[in-house]
Amino acid sequence: MRNASRVATLGAAVVLAAALLLFPSVAPNPYVLSAGIVVLNYAVVATSWNFVGGFTGYISLGHGALAGLGGYATGLLVTKAGLASFLALAVAAVLIALLAVPLGMAALRVRGASFVIVSIAIVLILLLVFQSWASFTGGSRGLVIPRPFPDLSRPEHHRAFWYLYAGLLALVLIAWWLIDRSRFGLGLKAIREDEDKAEALGTPTFAYKLIVFVVSAFFTALGGGLYALWFGDLDPVFQFSILSGSYLVLMALLGGVRNLFGPVVGAVVVGVALEYFKVSFGDTQLHLVATGVLLGLVVMFMPDGVLPALGSLVKRLRPDDTASIREETASELRDQRLASSTAGDRR
Amino acid sequence: MTKSLETHELRKAFGGVTALDGASVSFRHGRVNALIGPNGSGKTTFFNCVTGMIRPDSGTTTYQGQDITRKAPHRIVHAGIGRTFQLCRVFPRMTALDNVLAAVRPVGVTRALLGARHRSEVDRARSWLTRLGIEHLAGVEARTMSWGQQKLLELAGVLNAGPETILLDEPAGGVNPALLDRIGTLVRELNAEGRTFVIVEHNMDLVMSISDHIVVFDRGRPIAEGPPQQIRTDERVLGAYLGV
Repeated sequence: MRNASRVATLGAAVVLAAALLLFPSVAPNPYVLSAGIVVLNYAVVATSWNFVGGFTGYISLGHGALAGLGGYATGLLVTKAGLASFLALAVAAVLIALLAVPLGMAALRVRGASFVIVSIAIVLILLLVFQSWASFTGGSRGLVIPRPFPDLSRPEHHRAFWYLYAGLLALVLIAWWLIDRSRFGLGLKAIREDEDKAEALGTPTFAYKLIVFVVSAFFTALGGGLYALWFGDLDPVFQFSILSGSYLVLMALLGGVRNLFGPVVGAVVVGVALEYFKVSFGDTQLHLVATGVLLGLVVMFMPDGVLPALGSLVKRLRPDDTASIREETASELRDQRLASSTAGDRR
Repeated sequence: MTKSLETHELRKAFGGVTALDGASVSFRHGRVNALIGPNGSGKTTFFNCVTGMIRPDSGTTTYQGQDITRKAPHRIVHAGIGRTFQLCRVFPRMTALDNVLAAVRPVGVTRALLGARHRSEVDRARSWLTRLGIEHLAGVEARTMSWGQQKLLELAGVLNAGPETILLDEPAGGVNPALLDRIGTLVRELNAEGRTFVIVEHNMDLVMSISDHIVVFDRGRPIAEGPPQQIRTDERVLGAYLGV
């Protein structure tokens, strides 16, 4: 069973790697490539969200804002501090990871719906700060960030960022996979299942949650920072939005939070759908209706996501090899005891 | 015998309801101790206070001479006290093997980041599953197991954390007679290997057959204690608990 799972993961990794390498060559025009980068950005940030949401079950609607912080930190380090673009990106991610320590210490003290509300509050506070502090952040006028590759044409710019995002996605997926198979990851999953029970078995639950929150914030900030360097223009309304955080949750839930590639699959489905609705229906709010319907359908019919649903389907089609879970009867126990005492007598 | 687990004047109230009313108890090392009393007498609250799951309003708990009153539950586990829950709690969507592997003894950062399925740890976890007779369910998700099997799985997880003292909250609750027999035997075997037990239980046959020492609670404090034969005839116990 474990081998089958490994083969499936390896197969999916090969397919994903091939898609990442080939997409820029088969994309018919720069627009499709740029839409692909948006989807890839969603995949990076949704997978980063899944460090917290997938492992611990804490549903954060604030990760869109962590990406926004990464974007603004990168942009401000380039424009105000004069750092080179990619150095600024790395420094920004570290800064946001450090900021995640007090944020996590405050937010992770509460569970369930209370945690969701705290994460929303963080988004709203950040939105207010970045809108109001116009002298530093640019406020509602936005923040323009110079391109890291000024000599490249727009299609070349997209192509370069596609591969940068592909590398970042690979890094995030490897980190998630490593945690998933570690003792630390097992502790996080125990927290997701029953936090009090995990604590009662010796897991330092608060420290585990805080560490994974910081790791998640680091990768989310990298995703947001790379977006800032690619897009070149940040607006607080879009960067600090509950909606963008909700999209990430939808993507991870749709693909499957317990699966390495779940958020990637969700990002592709939701990202493409959002782009389709925006192109086809312009400025209407139809894409919001569609994502709401999608969320409802997922929760009702595939609560574990698309990938686990497919896995269950495959398992159902295979011969059943699970162990019997029946209990032993008193007579069976008596027989076993008799057999063991007979064996003991022989010894 | 040395005193292993001691509480002094432990108090806990939930709103207007006093669950623990100055409970001072000591459990000696190497014994099978039982904690009995009518429903609502504070037994589970006592367990929760001792294991750090809830903070007592006042009073202290010491374990092997060390004050553990305000310690986090995981630190109390690392100090050597493990527990099961009144309503059996397992990690439902994890396999039986992972349920046992999830029990954590103190490890360094490097060890924590290593693979969870290190051979020695898996062997150790499997050995507990084997000892409790559920090794054939190692790869099965806990939620698909029967209540009795989940009880055994919960105990396997606690044992894998390596505690010297184990608090069992109603181990006989909802299990069939054959399994009850097995649990009783297991407790005696584990006790013979050096583990101390404190057992909250309403099944008097089990309590009287496996306990060395019994503490009786009523209204949040101990009203009697002693060996089973003494408790069986204690008038205060008969009045408060057995209604005689």
